[in-house]
Amino acid sequence: MNRLVVVRCPDLLDEDEGGEALRLFAQVVEAVEAYCPWVTTVRPGLCSLPARGPARYFGGEDRLVRLITEVGVAVTPVEVGVADGLFAAVLAAQGGVIVPAEGTADFLAPLPVSVLGQPDLAELLNRLGVRTLGEFAALPEAHVLGRFGSDGSAGHRVAGGRSGELGGRHRPGGERRAAGSGAPATTTTTAAATAAQSGFWGGVSDTDARAGRALAAVQDLLGPDGVTIAHLQGGRGPAQRARFVTWSGRGAHPDPAPGGPWPGQIPPPAPMVVHPALLRAELVGADGEPIAVSARGLLTGVPCRLSVEETAWSAVTAWAGPWPSDERWWSRSRQRSARLQAVMGSAAHLLLIERGRWWVEATYG
Amino acid sequence: MFVAPPHRPAADTQAPEGPPPTRRLDRPRDLAALALLAERTRPVSSSRARVLPVAPPLDVLLPDGGLRRGTTIVVSGPGRGTDAGRAADGSVSMALALLAAASGTGSWCALVGLDGLGAVAAHELGIDLARLAVIPRPGVAWAEVTGAVIDGVDLVVLCPPFPPRPAMARRLVARARERRAVLVVVPGRAGWPDPPDLSLSIGEACWDGAGTGEGFLSRRRMTVTVAGRRSAARPRDHQLWLPSATGAMADDDPAGSEGSP
Repeated sequence: MNRLVVVRCPDLLDEDEGGEALRLFAQVVEAVEAYCPWVTTVRPGLCSLPARGPARYFGGEDRLVRLITEVGVAVTPVEVGVADGLFAAVLAAQGGVIVPAEGTADFLAPLPVSVLGQPDLAELLNRLGVRTLGEFAALPEAHVLGRFGSDGSAGHRVAGGRSGELGGRHRPGGERRAAGSGAPATTTTTAAATAAQSGFWGGVSDTDARAGRALAAVQDLLGPDGVTIAHLQGGRGPAQRARFVTWSGRGAHPDPAPGGPWPGQIPPPAPMVVHPALLRAELVGADGEPIAVSARGLLTGVPCRLSVEETAWSAVTAWAGPWPSDERWWSRSRQRSARLQAVMGSAAHLLLIERGRWWVEATYG
Repeated sequence: MFVAPPHRPAADTQAPEGPPPTRRLDRPRDLAALALLAERTRPVSSSRARVLPVAPPLDVLLPDGGLRRGTTIVVSGPGRGTDAGRAADGSVSMALALLAAASGTGSWCALVGLDGLGAVAAHELGIDLARLAVIPRPGVAWAEVTGAVIDGVDLVVLCPPFPPRPAMARRLVARARERRAVLVVVPGRAGWPDPPDLSLSIGEACWDGAGTGEGFLSRRRMTVTVAGRRSAARPRDHQLWLPSATGAMADDDPAGSEGSP
């Protein structure tokens, strides 16, 4: 982690209309550059430079800070601080302190979790009784990852002084794998915080936490996409009415019930198994002639036998439908199809016909 | 220039908690009131409950009136071998119907090895989809995956994608017992090589509602045979609707005869 000097100009953090603030800030940067050529502007009113080289040259960090403050205040009020990593250094500048090397975690420990700049995370942590960065950093890493996802994990590493800045988004897969092999899963530290709140405020309970750890372990084995949660949504066919999303470890979040009428939707009960790939099927009448659906949406004959994936024929004992559905009739990808419920003794399938060919779309299992 | 004083390490502030709240509540009456409050605010299906609830009519069918933690249940049907056959024989519906009541009270459930769950049907059965982890393709690591899931999930439905070896099955059963989870196996044609605590076999089933084009599938009447150890040693047959006209499970009595015209 780089040791950084951060120069913060509290009056210049907001841009004004005339650009006066930016011009003043440019002057500050120029003045600081006289001491060190590697000044990086982080955002308007905030710039950083590496501390180690210049500090050695000017005879110590406190002397460097004093020099920079002197040239800065000639232009505008400035706050200067030194710490390991940008996140801590910006906070150090706000307090006007020099955080000793390796003292980042101790410096951050008493600060409230809201300084991480993640309002959702801060609110959740507060509800769990975790109020400072030090308390957050003391939670085991594997649990933080399982519960708060990769954003929370990045904040956790920053809070513990193990990472310099929050940075951009992290790849969920790589993160999870790295953490799973790391800290051993102990429940003792979180128990104090979670037990008091378990299941009471909603969202996070003991059961959710246990399940979260187990599912994170499965994701270690299969990759993040291996564990999914179903979300219901509007749609005509059974495959369109549900969407499987990768489990993210953020706990249970109830889905708004899909509203709105869907003409052509078949009434409940819904099929228990929706085949991920359609199964080829043949439907024939008593004489063995293939059955189709006419342009008027009627069957061309009486269905008699069904064969799925070229297996043995079974007799169709009852059927319902067909229900034509003319989807996306306004576009080129227009699709005319029809659905038919077919009963073969104790088994029942939902069949789909498209371009004259039958498929098993789902099974009433 | 001010140099930040070193703060106490964070770990120290975590480990010992402040004075326990019970210290001030030493009078027995307060403690009794507190116990009552704890009982009221306790999650319905807590980890201490020995038996997880099931929806009627299964509650009268199962020997403990519910799913006893740590047990293994095998649900089998007259599946005819093919994938579509296993899907069609009602065993998946029965396995998920077993979860519905516990899922409704906040237990986590997982479904391992069934690629193509009809989520709408699961929802109609009463399962809370937000607490149902679906692991559709565990692959060759299915036993390992199931073991990991058992560690943290109360109810696990397993459809083994490959024929299970006896040692593998015994390990999973032992793990479920140790972790106090309920393992529901839908073995299909391959079978389950370990004698389960309870077995539910689906016999005759017939669908209502469809005719010669008119109507639509509305409900299925099925015969279930429950057999097991101890109190359930004598097999019992029962007739029920799964699904009923609403998609949930219903008992085969006049009250359950709503629906089809």
